[in-house]
Amino acid sequence: MNGYGGQILHVNLTTGKITKEPTPPDVVRDFIGGRGFGAYFLFKEVPTNADPLGPANKLIISSGPFSGLMIPGAGKCDFTTKSPLTGGYASASMGGHFTAEIKYAGLDSIILEGISPRPVYLFIDDDKVELRDAADLWGKGTIVVEKHFKEKLGEEFQVAVIGPGGENGVSYACINHDFGRQAGRGGVGTVMGVKKVKAVVVHGTKSIPVADMEGYRKAGMALYKACKDAEGLKDWTRYGTTIVTSWCDEVGALPTRNFSAGSFEGGKGLYGQTMREKIVITDKGCFGCPSPCGKYSRSKKYNIHVEGPEYETIGLMGSNLGIDDIEAVAQANLLCDDLGIDTISTGNAIGWAMECYEKGILTKKDTDGLELKFGNVEATFKLIEKIARREGFGALLAEGVKRASKKIGKGSEKFAIQVKGMEQSAYATHNATAMLLAYMTCDVGAHHNRSWAITYDLQVGRDKVVPEKVARVIWLQNFRPMFDVLGGCRLQWVELGIDRDLYCPALEAITGVQRSWEDLEKVGARIWNLTRMYWGRENEGFGRQWDMPSPRFYEEAPTTGATKGQITKFEDVHKLLDMYYEQRGWTSEGIPTAATLEQLGLAELVA
Amino acid sequence: MKKKNRITTKATLRPSGALKSYISGKTEITVEAGHTVRETLSALNIPPEVVALVVVNPRTTGVNEEQQSKDYVIQEGDVVRVLAVIGGG
Repeated sequence: MNGYGGQILHVNLTTGKITKEPTPPDVVRDFIGGRGFGAYFLFKEVPTNADPLGPANKLIISSGPFSGLMIPGAGKCDFTTKSPLTGGYASASMGGHFTAEIKYAGLDSIILEGISPRPVYLFIDDDKVELRDAADLWGKGTIVVEKHFKEKLGEEFQVAVIGPGGENGVSYACINHDFGRQAGRGGVGTVMGVKKVKAVVVHGTKSIPVADMEGYRKAGMALYKACKDAEGLKDWTRYGTTIVTSWCDEVGALPTRNFSAGSFEGGKGLYGQTMREKIVITDKGCFGCPSPCGKYSRSKKYNIHVEGPEYETIGLMGSNLGIDDIEAVAQANLLCDDLGIDTISTGNAIGWAMECYEKGILTKKDTDGLELKFGNVEATFKLIEKIARREGFGALLAEGVKRASKKIGKGSEKFAIQVKGMEQSAYATHNATAMLLAYMTCDVGAHHNRSWAITYDLQVGRDKVVPEKVARVIWLQNFRPMFDVLGGCRLQWVELGIDRDLYCPALEAITGVQRSWEDLEKVGARIWNLTRMYWGRENEGFGRQWDMPSPRFYEEAPTTGATKGQITKFEDVHKLLDMYYEQRGWTSEGIPTAATLEQLGLAELVA
Repeated sequence: MKKKNRITTKATLRPSGALKSYISGKTEITVEAGHTVRETLSALNIPPEVVALVVVNPRTTGVNEEQQSKDYVIQEGDVVRVLAVIGGG
């Protein structure tokens, strides 16, 4: 099949049985690849009400038709599972070089099921697929394990590895790759850990069949030329995602002290320019990337090298904890990466704990003696370790802020910054209604990358609640995740502003199938509705209440910064949902109607 | 090349990407020196808050570039690049 590895690899960890099946053409037609494959296989193959930490749950690792080919940013890999953090759909995207090797090994997806009786790693070298003993690697950090495989097997092997966080069942453990790339969100690393899989290592030498080689070459070159010619290339390469740090501070979107404000008085210490001057050594890109947003940094203060920090980590581990030192953020970043826990959820959990401490809800007796005041760098480092090892007070935070706040109570639920159980990523949304709606309705919980609508708020009026804003959020939700479906990176479109129509000839030349963005957005809508049905299937009583944001954004206006005194009205939160459900073709409780499912070709699948 | 008059009160603003739509798709526009970047953007109906990065390349100092705040007062001969975050993170 043109553009595809051609096979799906099933690995039953309980029995050790390894099988392959041809990639189903109808799934390619309807879901294309990557995140689409993940959503389909999750819905179809994981039984209803499966325990996320039980053998019936699966970890689905998927490439897309762009993966491994010369298309800008074609190094994205999707990890889908039933989330141990939220109990719903989880999908995390990871950059690097891993997905290219999956394709070169003749595969499109790797599906891990069951639970291994002992620690193993999955070894793939073209058609040689084996489960190998990993007892001597269990308990080790991600960096030393990746280095071990590179030395033992060779540089050409690509490695996806979990750390102690995944082994110990931290609900938001991540999967690491390339010494600094993560599938970060929703606990995909937790599922890998409970399955006792320390790593997946893959190398391939096969060719990827392409329908029209000359057309592919031309379309690929046109995409690279557009990137090279983009005016913003130099600046985005220099700063990466940290370009937005100062801007977020200015507009009141920088999470500060557990999202109690959107501007930070110590913000300058974290800005992209500060970071570039103080710690950045060089730039780092993923497979086929013309605009490397990754930054290799060195902190003299902590005597470390780390990839990062990027904006999300700076927001959650810096300003959100009242920390104004970029070197301290770099150290926190390295600890989380090596221990294999998501920096976004971890920063959010520690921010919640610090607020509990400052309000007297928690004392030193609860925190194992840690003085959890905002700005306490050393306590932050210690707490990261405790979370990853589920040790003492860390075990509570390892549950995520929704469950932790439920256990602690005393009003702390109100400042647990999450939606559907997933901690909010690094945009404060006190007065940005489109961005707030994007978080509320995101398919995995409070994550930004599906629909990043905050500049639209600024362009049309931050507090406006109008159908156009809702339509914009929906359009972004249908469109942006398609990059994760294709196995590419959205940042060339997002940051460099290249014409998205340039991707269509490339897709046609590679697969032999003509698809316009209108067609692709319909696939995006199909996946969005399928995962919504998954949430409903797995969670009794699922509905509108699950889409509610933290009360912080409609009850407590910041007292400082750019959004001082600004808040979203409670009635506007519901008005946003009313309009959203109507435009999506969902019921007033947020469930896709039969007509919507029929229109998207999902009626049979979800029946 | 025609010799340019170096005594001027003019400067150049270069908006990147989507910001060009605010100046009819042009890649640069001549602006008056002596005003802040924020004032200059507002005068062109570019919402200052959508601009994430201001980089000033003063002609007098050659190739050195410096990131500036929107409160920077544009000097004569400056080339000011402004970058938006329309697409997002």
